[in-house]
This record gives sequence, structure tokens and C-alpha cells, in this order.
Amino acid sequence: MSAAEAVTQKVSAKSAAEKIKIAIDTLKASGVRERPLVEVLDLSHQMADAMKTFFGSLDRSIIGEFRYIADFIQKARDEISGLQANDIKDSRIPGASMELDAVVRDTERATETIMSEAEGLMNANPADLKIYKAEVDAAMLRIFEACSFQDLTGQRVNKVIATLRHIEERVSQFAGALGVTDTAQPVSAADQRAKDQLLNGPAINGPSTTQEDIDALFA
Amino acid sequence: MAVDMSMPVLVVDDYQTMIRIIRNLLTQLGFHNIEEAKDGRQALEKMQGSKFGLVISDWNMEPMTGFELLQQVRASETLKATPFIMITAESKTENVIAAKKAGVNNYIVKPFNAETLKGKIKAVLGDF
Repeated sequence: MSAAEAVTQKVSAKSAAEKIKIAIDTLKASGVRERPLVEVLDLSHQMADAMKTFFGSLDRSIIGEFRYIADFIQKARDEISGLQANDIKDSRIPGASMELDAVVRDTERATETIMSEAEGLMNANPADLKIYKAEVDAAMLRIFEACSFQDLTGQRVNKVIATLRHIEERVSQFAGALGVTDTAQPVSAADQRAKDQLLNGPAINGPSTTQEDIDALFA
Repeated sequence: MAVDMSMPVLVVDDYQTMIRIIRNLLTQLGFHNIEEAKDGRQALEKMQGSKFGLVISDWNMEPMTGFELLQQVRASETLKATPFIMITAESKTENVIAAKKAGVNNYIVKPFNAETLKGKIKAVLGDF
């Protein structure tokens, strides 16, 4: 039952109590004399009074609370709808995942090409300089071609960033509108292992401790 | 004493590309007996099967990390004297200190170059 329906029902119950009381008064006034019936009528009268007192005590502040809850629920429904969770789940995240897979694949392919060319050059025979130069030139061209992956991966990564920003905006808006705060969560086994094994991963903008500082620790 | 360039070197990394880079660099330095493992567990199995003159290991691998491998090697009576160099992207000071306490001989932070690798191997094994 919605808050608005609850308020409507409360008003109806109050008027119903009034009607019951009027009905009992009418019955009493009609001259009924059998004692049990009179007692029933008296009890009913008391009950109607009690109902009237109870429903009358539901003052305007409670009605206001119901209205606030009703508005909040409506707002939450609007925010959930605005979150476009299905679009994020069915389209945006799978799309971003495919882009990242392609980035990994393109990078691996380019690395493989560049390394193979470099290894080939290291093993090339420089005895005949003319042939050697032709081999080097051809290998260098293939390395340049392989480096074109950077343009594609840059575009793919930008699409993933756009998706993450979209999700971030929606979630922030949702959390802000509903006043959501983070609660403490149990640490997962994977997170605990990462913490125990000091698995921090690469630092942003280069190593957090330079090779020179590390060397100083081993000096 | 000169370094025996034919001694077996074990390279441990879960990225084949990184193993390939280190293998090529070691070959350029003159090492030609190079074996590889894709994580700490596989490395430990290989070490229990044959003696290595040097281990060069990444840190972040599963199911056994390079840090766990280092601890296991140092805890083993038969393996504890094996020279061990860590090559890793884990560059926090806490990582370096933890590895040093666990008995690592040297520590290289990624990305690295050939000169750094050569310098650290010399620092651990001596001139070659």
C-alpha cells in the first residue's frame, strides 16, 4: 500500500467511525429495550468513540511523513529509472569489456611483431652489407607498421574511459539523490591475499620508489 | 672468480613477453642456459628438480607470487643459497623492504633497461 493510499484509508476510517456512531445513536433512539442488545450497543458506542479518538490523533505531521515517504519513493523510482542499469549492464559494460579485450589483443600482436623483427635483426648476418641493409630496412618498416596499433588502442581506451565516466556520473547522481552512504564491507579473500602479499601493482606516473632509491637500500 | 656463463638461470614471469625480453637480454650478456617458469609454484618445482645459479623472478603472479617463492627458497636447506633477483612493477618501499628482509639479493623495478639488469647481476654474481 502506498503512503498516499494509507492517508486516504485513514480519512475513510475516520468518517466510517463517525457513521458507526451515528448508526448506533439511531439504534438507541429507536427504543430498543432488550438488555443484551443495549449492552452491545453501549460497547459498540465505546468502540466507535475509541476509533474516532485514535484516528483523530493521527495529526497532520503524520500525514506529512506519509507524504514525504511517498515523495521519496517516487524520487527513488525516478532515480533508479535514470540510472539506466539495464543499458549499463547489457550494453555499455560488455562494450567496454570488448574494447579492452581488443586493446590487449592488438598490443600483444604488435609486441610479437616488434620482438620477432628485433630478434631477426639480432641474428641477421652482416657479412654482405647490401643484403644486411635490405633486411634491416624491411624489418624497420614492419616495426613502424606494427606501431600503428597505438592509434587504435588510444581510441579504444578513450571509449572505455567515456563509459566509465558515464557510469560514474549516474552512480554519483543516484547516491547523492538518495543520500546513500558507504557501509563497511567484509574484506574478500582475494583482497586479503593482495594485502598480505603486498600486491599493489604498478604505480601511476612511474615507480613510486626509483631504482636509485632501491639501489641505496642494497648498497 | 669468474662467473660461469653456462650456469642455468631460471626466469619466472607470468607474461611470456617479459620472459622473452629477459631471455634476450641474458643471451646478449652471454648466458645461454636459460629456463623459464610462469609462476612461483612452477619455479619451485623446477628448482627442486635441478640446481640453478640464478633466479630472476617477477613478484605479482598466481597461484604463488614471487615473494612467496623467495620465502620458500630461503626456508629450504637445499635452495636457500640460490642468488635471487626480483624484477617487478611493485615499486612501493614496503615491497622493497619486505623482499630485502626475506633475503632477496637485488631488486629491479620495471620498466628497466639492459644496463640495470647487467649491473644487478654483476652485483650479485660478480664480474663477467
